[in-house]
Amino acid sequence: MSDPITDAAAPLHDEEPPPARRDSVAGRVAFYIGSAGLLAATAADSIAVLGRHTGFALLGAIEIVQAAIVFIAASSMVVVTLARGHAAVHILTDRLGPGRRQLLSRVANLLGALAVLLLIIGSLILLGDTWAGHERSELLHIPLRWFRVLMIAALAFMAILFLRDAIRSRGSAENAR
Amino acid sequence: MIPEIVGLLGILGLLVLLTLGVPIGVSLALTGAIGLMVMLSPEAALVKAGVVVFEVANKYELGVLPLFLLMAHLCFAAGASRDFFDVAARFVGHRRGGLGLASIAGCAGFGSISGSSLATVATVGSAALPEMRRAGYNPGFAAGALAAGGTLGALIPPSGALIVFGIIAEQSIGTLFTAAVIPGLSQALFYMLAIAVMCAWKPELGPRSVRVAWRDRMRGLLGIIDVILLVCFVIGGLMIGWFTPTEAASVGVLVAFVLMAIRGAFNRAALSDAFAKTLTTTGMIYLIIIGAILFAAFISVTGLADLMSNTVRAMDTDPVVVIIVIALMLLVLGSFLDGLALMLLTTPIFLPIVLELGYSPIWFGIFLVRTMEIGFIHPPLGLNVYVIQAIGKDIPLGAIFRGIVPFLVADFFHLAVLIAFPVVTLWLPSIMAV
Repeated sequence: MSDPITDAAAPLHDEEPPPARRDSVAGRVAFYIGSAGLLAATAADSIAVLGRHTGFALLGAIEIVQAAIVFIAASSMVVVTLARGHAAVHILTDRLGPGRRQLLSRVANLLGALAVLLLIIGSLILLGDTWAGHERSELLHIPLRWFRVLMIAALAFMAILFLRDAIRSRGSAENAR
Repeated sequence: MIPEIVGLLGILGLLVLLTLGVPIGVSLALTGAIGLMVMLSPEAALVKAGVVVFEVANKYELGVLPLFLLMAHLCFAAGASRDFFDVAARFVGHRRGGLGLASIAGCAGFGSISGSSLATVATVGSAALPEMRRAGYNPGFAAGALAAGGTLGALIPPSGALIVFGIIAEQSIGTLFTAAVIPGLSQALFYMLAIAVMCAWKPELGPRSVRVAWRDRMRGLLGIIDVILLVCFVIGGLMIGWFTPTEAASVGVLVAFVLMAIRGAFNRAALSDAFAKTLTTTGMIYLIIIGAILFAAFISVTGLADLMSNTVRAMDTDPVVVIIVIALMLLVLGSFLDGLALMLLTTPIFLPIVLELGYSPIWFGIFLVRTMEIGFIHPPLGLNVYVIQAIGKDIPLGAIFRGIVPFLVADFFHLAVLIAFPVVTLWLPSIMAV
């Protein structure tokens, strides 16, 4: 078990993910995009609350927060995959030898890539269907198709990371712990 | 093949994947997508997957999760973590079992920021356990109190588990938070009663500590007053209708920034760390939610949940008996499944049954999280027990599990109260503006 104070880093979920890795370009980009999303959502909602209680309205605050959430979702899923931090049940894997654990880890990563691939295909079908319609938000007319593209790019990167970890034994072994 | 059989096979497949260590989100997404392919068609399943991905990524209500996470991490960076126990100890430490009572109060206070069971037990435990042992507390009893107290973090708002339940079951997160207040506080009260009874019966379990002067008690209280005000402002504002849950979380983040500045912790390293930890946990939960919604759609299409509700209706059994059976099933499943996996697996199956019996979905959310929490302290999984043992390494696991027994009894009584009197859960939301 790791240091309990470090364990406290997972306030809302009870499986401690390893800290985000910012030693790669992808990690840094995802970190900055996600942080910008978090700040934008905070700012938009806080101003909206302040406005509501002082008599001015921030038009389309919800749409701004929704856009920010897409940035948060896309970047955070990349961040956690880079950190090999996806939650898993370890009741069996913790009791296996290193060889079998590594094998199961490879299988888990391959299945991870497959699951994300299914999500990508579904997202691409929808992107194709909505592309020509220039889907936009109601009030601020934010072009939503670029947000779909961002999500697909993030998912594609996740799939590559899962595949990489399935191939690299070191990554698989780390993930298996 | 009969759709319901496909549903059962899907659940079995999900359990196998989870047991093999496949990430929870991946297991749910794969089972859901493949199940939908079998039940509908490959194209329909893929389109559904695409719809779910963007719906989740674009969902305003889901913004509450990363923002409350960020608020919690900023509060930790500001140093607001162990203080709750220290202050409570100054007030009641001189009483018999007083440090035990303080540890429960500390867990409740910390839980109101963290929203997580393990984080609560780890943080409060690292401060309280050495203190209790120095004061001559029975090690197993002290560790048991902390392991049980940690579960308060999963119920007291803002609770991560309740946010996820609200998204999956399409229920108001604000109402769930409000509904959790009385069960959370009464759970803490039950634990305190257990400590008082045990220490009255066996005084050597929790001896008295030195009395602290009132001036020092008030000084300690002043040290955490800013965090208490933040929690009251955010959760109180949500309950009286000042903000929506997402707005409450945003305002909470803003106030946490101010807190950091006041406490002299507003620096680049601390901020960067808080953002990084927030993003890591958020990403993990987003994939799980995408998977859980796909899995729920699959279970819904198979008609398995309807079949089970119809069977329950046909049995004409007392609803309380059905709820007790569900609680027992949750406790058994909680013996080997992680709390979140348990919730995501069982919500699509049990929620329709509970609704059929006439219970409120809000009540079910609280009941589910409460039952799930018990899994954190009962063997063999009992994750909180392993966390507390990592802090008190020389305390045998058996001694901790023995120390937990009084708190498990308190848990069962508390769960019985929640089942017998749903008003305990539903009264507060009925009078608040949520």
